[in-house]
Parts: sequence; structure tokens; C-alpha cells
Amino acid sequence: REDPPERRYRSASGAAIALRRRQHSASCRELAVRCPRLQLRSLSAVTSAVWLAAYGLFVLTQNSMVLSAAIFVTLIGLIIYLHFMKVDQESLLVIGSLGIQVTSSYASGKESTTFIEMGQVKDVVINEAIHMQKVIYYLCILLQDPGDPQGVSEVVPLFQSSKPRLDCLIEVYKSCQEILEQRKTAPQSSGIK
Amino acid sequence: MVENSPAPLPERAIYGFALFLGSWFGFMLYLIWAYVPETWLFSLGLTYWPQKYWAVALPAYLLVAIGIGYILLFGINMMSTAPLNSTHTITDNYAKKQQQKKFQEEAIPALRDIPISEVNRMFFLPEKGICNSR
Repeated sequence: REDPPERRYRSASGAAIALRRRQHSASCRELAVRCPRLQLRSLSAVTSAVWLAAYGLFVLTQNSMVLSAAIFVTLIGLIIYLHFMKVDQESLLVIGSLGIQVTSSYASGKESTTFIEMGQVKDVVINEAIHMQKVIYYLCILLQDPGDPQGVSEVVPLFQSSKPRLDCLIEVYKSCQEILEQRKTAPQSSGIK
Repeated sequence: MVENSPAPLPERAIYGFALFLGSWFGFMLYLIWAYVPETWLFSLGLTYWPQKYWAVALPAYLLVAIGIGYILLFGINMMSTAPLNSTHTITDNYAKKQQQKKFQEEAIPALRDIPISEVNRMFFLPEKGICNSR
């Protein structure tokens, strides 16, 4: 079956993001949200601002160490930003009867992965909450409370860096629910014990 | 039940007038203390006053405290907002302990907190619709 093409959406702050859906098998789906790349104009703007401020300090203090410190700070700051803060792609791999894997790929190539086995997953829902003076919709995994069948022990928010808007979240939600519903109809396959 | 309305009452008028007189008296006292030279006050026999430094310091402290109060309130609000990964965004103690009433035909269903999974299904999976909800 053909995978639908990559569709463009907007994030909560207005940036352009793209959602790619791939179906690997009847019970395995991968949903990846790609964030916009680091723009050259914003990088130049920040670098120019830092270097102009350093030059201003140099003119005031006549200390050339300020200039070399500014270059150093810019380089180190860029590396830290790309490695720890700039997320390139966030993906969700749902394997029915096994679990859900959440991967974040950073701009420097680093990938950080979390796996949640299906026995712990209660549901994947779209929740709305207050975040930084805004109310946003976000997708989250509800983890089952072992003592209480109706209770939720933990909430794992997904797509934290790309923050897609509701239309994108509804697509992801529908795809996930199609896989999760298979759990109810086939309870005998309960994964690795 | 005690009367809680904000309507004017005779007692409230008396309290208001007493507060009005008291605040005028306090203001006059403050002005006298701040402006009248100490020697004149000593010659009258009133010697036990706080330092006149406080006549300027207290209003300054008050204004700065009010300014900081705005920022502090904003910060406290932001700190007490539940983070995105907390269960307080989904449920709370009252919802966990609620009792389910039995479903009666042709009666309005009892008020209860609907679990978020059910709400999501109703909003975002339109083909399930109303006929499948319990």
C-alpha cells in the first residue's frame, strides 16, 4: 500500500513543519515530524549582534581579549545549541503488541530514544494545557497505573520541540488509534513476557 | 445564612465613616511628623518619635514592594501552572474518587468527569460517534 506523501503543517509558533507517515506492516506505523532547519539569516543575525557587542566593549575597554572571547563564545554556543537544543526530527514508531518508540534527532546528529512497552501504555491522547501564557494542544502517552485499571500513573508528552498544531495532531492521533485498537480485538498476543 | 450581599447597610456606613476619619487623622499626623522641625515637637513635650528618615523611606519601600508584587505574582502564577508532563492536566483527586451512577433509560445522565480517552474519541474519531459512548 502506498504511503501518503509528506504533508506540510504549522507548529504552534507558526514555523513550517512536515509530517511523514510510513506503514511498515499492518500493526507497525512510523510517524515523523520534521522541524525547520537552522536559518542562515538568524545565525548571521545572532553572530553579528554578539560580535558587534564585543567590538563595542573592546572600544570601551581597549582589551583585545574581549574579541577573542566573543569568537570563542560564539563557536561554543553554536555547538552546544546544535547538539543539545536544536531538534531536527521527532518520530513516533508504534508497533502493536510490542510498544511505542519515541526518537528525537538533533541537528548535530545525536539521536535520543525512549521505548515504552505496550503493557504500560494506557492510551495516546491529545491533551490541552497551559504552556507559557498560551493554551496548546499536545499529543501524549498515558501510562497505566499498575494498581488501578482506570488510573493514569504518568503522562509522557510527545513532539515537544516541534509542537504541531491540532490538524497535524489529529492525523497522528488517528494513526495511533488504529494500531491501539488492535490491542482490544487480539488480547492473546501480549508481547514479550 | 449570613447576609453576604454587598448592599449598603447602616453598620457599614458607620464603619466607613470611622475609617474615613481615622485615615484623615493618620495622614495629618504623618504630615506633622514629617514637616514640623524636631525642636518644636520637643518643646511641646512629644519626644518619642521615630527617626524622620522613615518618613521618606517607608513610602519608597512601599512603592518598590508594589512594583515587585506585580512581577512576583506573575512569577508565582507561572510556577504553579502544572507542567505538561504532570497528571494534574488530566485528572485530580475529586475525579478519581467520583462514584458512577447507574445509567437509567430516558433520564438525563448524571454529571461526572468524563475520562480524557473518551473525550478524545468523541472529538477526533467522528465515525465512532455517539452510538458507541457509554
